Amino acid sequence: MAFAVGVDLGTTNTVVGAVKNGVVATVTDANGSRLIPSAVSFHPSGSVLVGYGALERRLMDGANTVSSVKRLIGRPWSSPEVQAARSKLPFALKEGPGGSTTVTARNETYALPEISAFVLRQAKAVAEAALGEPVERAVITVPANFNDLQRAATKTAGRLAGLEVLRILNEPTAAALAYGPQGKAQERIAVYDLGGGTFDVTLLDLAGNVFEVLATAGDTALGGDDIDVVVAERMADDVLKKHRFDAREQPLAYGRLRILAEEMKRALSSEIEHTQTVTDLVPAPGGAYTPWTFRMTRPELEWASLGLVERTFQVCQRALDAAGVGQKDLDRIILVGGATRMPMVARKTEQFFGRPPVVRINPDEVVALGAAIQAALLDRTKQRAAEPMQHPTIAEDSVVREMPGEDGPSSSDAFGLPLVGGPSLPAGPHAQALAASAPSPASPAAALTASRRDPPAPAHAPPLAPARVPALAPSPAPAAAPPKTEFLPGRAGSTLVFDVPGLAGAPPASPVQSKRAVPDLPSPSRVAKNPAPPPPAPPARLLASDPPPPPRPAPLLIDVTPLSLGVETVGGYCDILIEANTPVPCDRTRSFTTAAAGQTSVQVRVAQGESKRFDENTFLGEVHLSGVPAGARGEAQIAVTFEIDADGILNVRALDVKTGQATAARIQLVGAQNDAKALEAMQARQAAHPLAAAAPAR
Amino acid sequence: MASREALEVFLHSLARKSYYDILRVGRDASPAALKAAFHDFSLLYHPDRYASSDAGAREVATEIYKRGVEAYRCVSRPAMRQRYDKSLARGKLRIESSRPSTVPPPPQMRTLETVARTPRAKQHAVKADRLIAVGKLEDARVQLVSACQCEPENEELAERLKILYEALALEPL
Repeated sequence: MAFAVGVDLGTTNTVVGAVKNGVVATVTDANGSRLIPSAVSFHPSGSVLVGYGALERRLMDGANTVSSVKRLIGRPWSSPEVQAARSKLPFALKEGPGGSTTVTARNETYALPEISAFVLRQAKAVAEAALGEPVERAVITVPANFNDLQRAATKTAGRLAGLEVLRILNEPTAAALAYGPQGKAQERIAVYDLGGGTFDVTLLDLAGNVFEVLATAGDTALGGDDIDVVVAERMADDVLKKHRFDAREQPLAYGRLRILAEEMKRALSSEIEHTQTVTDLVPAPGGAYTPWTFRMTRPELEWASLGLVERTFQVCQRALDAAGVGQKDLDRIILVGGATRMPMVARKTEQFFGRPPVVRINPDEVVALGAAIQAALLDRTKQRAAEPMQHPTIAEDSVVREMPGEDGPSSSDAFGLPLVGGPSLPAGPHAQALAASAPSPASPAAALTASRRDPPAPAHAPPLAPARVPALAPSPAPAAAPPKTEFLPGRAGSTLVFDVPGLAGAPPASPVQSKRAVPDLPSPSRVAKNPAPPPPAPPARLLASDPPPPPRPAPLLIDVTPLSLGVETVGGYCDILIEANTPVPCDRTRSFTTAAAGQTSVQVRVAQGESKRFDENTFLGEVHLSGVPAGARGEAQIAVTFEIDADGILNVRALDVKTGQATAARIQLVGAQNDAKALEAMQARQAAHPLAAAAPAR
Repeated sequence: MASREALEVFLHSLARKSYYDILRVGRDASPAALKAAFHDFSLLYHPDRYASSDAGAREVATEIYKRGVEAYRCVSRPAMRQRYDKSLARGKLRIESSRPSTVPPPPQMRTLETVARTPRAKQHAVKADRLIAVGKLEDARVQLVSACQCEPENEELAERLKILYEALALEPL
């Protein structure tokens, strides 16, 4: 059976997640790595290397090795981001048809989605090898603040990679889905997502199984890479001072510093100071090298990156203002993205939000895990429709056992929940049976599951024990299904209609049974205050073989559009049609007319952004209305419906108001090559370049 | 899961409803009540809930959902809600009711009047047609049941009653 996976297509790394047998996990390649570096190298042989193989070629063949394409995808040639990147990148950017941005490597020109398509093909191949099944459909994540052009380009990349794109999902929303509800009836959370190249913050309300995004804000050009640059600059200064060697003059040497800077940044997340000695960078007379030693302390790194980190909180404030929410209203702060491993980020978020952040799931994997859950939800093809759908369990090796950051006292609170996949403990048979049995190492974890659907219980709970238990426990006697209403406290009636198939066959809950389970149960908060020592790392269990637990209501995401959508009006103003933070899918209709007698076509210019001036927003393109009946000026009336779909992508359709007939409407996006002919050429190029097999010879 | 036809009948009925009626709240609903109502609405009509339905049903559910978003966005913001309440008092159901409808025209189903054969059944069928047109599905059901009782052997009429029941199921009490 073909699989649907979740792909976190990152600026620096790509991660794939999949749900199998009620467990969601990230897949590993043949070498056991979960990360696929988002780098693509065009080999002289015509094959294409993606991932670590491409990273290795970054230094020896920089001109044909493309990385960080996510920073540029969906950005037209004329955009400031592309113009700024041109001089800094070792590979060649050129202007393509329709104002698009292209990359030239080995005498061939590629549109940016083609580069991402190579990464996605590799992701697909890695997933297929790990799952042992074909992968045909995927949910692909993007930064919440991506605009229409960036989303559409990402979707094109997915299609070029041979994937049916089930959804373009916002990364912070995916992370929230992976964390799941904490068990309270109502909860308000903030997801702080500092990735390699982008920063996003998203505020959500969780009520039962509904995840409603209240507001999102972000900066698509702010991430961990920028901190690397800050460190690399210090290194360049240092090596210049010590050895009169100007690395800035040599792209290769500077590229090397960027890599060293990233290593330094990572090292300083766990060490207070770190020293690097490089013996093959600074040339000495006679073809030899002079060793160069660079030392940095954590406070130095923090001082250097303070400005960048502070910028994220301006964005956070914007999101809070948009949602009309104060810091005090938030129940949980979730950290996502590799850059949040910096202790300073945890500390600063605590300062800003007034409560310690939660990092319970590996911040590199959490987005892919959430995407995988959404993929499983949306992949309800006829074959799967009969299967029960529930909130899957997070694979244990994705669960973090240590808080980043040095604030010891707060770390117990910060866990929120103990080590097991709290949001997604298998409910039902295991939990019920285990809770009913005598105290055993298993019961606390199992009890926790049950306690989440019952009122907080007395506190004479057994201490928390290591908890790989529920999934590993032998499947016990048939147990009662949980009452269907539990995840919609107080107003669950309407959910019954749409309850997932599979529930119908389960025996009704016996009140006696569930009541008996209650008294011994710790409440979630009680458990959280007694964190147990971490269990020894269990073996990777990507594909748990135990039978899936009975279904819980499938979660529903209500996401929003991050940017306002508007059309140009007289005087260069932007007339907002759909405001930022409106739930999607949504639409708005506006009537347009001809400006001259006999006119048979109308153009409408569209942009996204929050400025009143059209030119200050991101220009998306033009909607062309053709076949307008000729008549006097202003006689024809065309009603154009602008729809933002669940992917956050703009669609238009038009109607002649008088005749009720559909009018041809076409969006010409700026810098996008999305006509059939261009797509065919891209597909042909994908077919012409096989991916190099896994690990290349060194 | 509801059929495309039933979803279309339901979508059509939304055109005659105020934002409050679409969300099934009172005109004095608190922000918290509106939020809860929007969540309930979403659980029922969000297109993701139709992931295993055919594309047609999903498309109609999308149209229904977009009407709910329009309603929620309007009444959940105090300034807009105030403006809406004033125009609602004048009988305008949508904030921009002057604009042409974006709802695709309902499928060209035969009117119930033409489906019914006997004069007695036609009498009820005409009423049911009119009630469906103004979105009063429950009242239409009563009429259609009467029409079916007049013509128990009329299969097309029975089929139309089935569709109406499905549409009604979309509108929980």
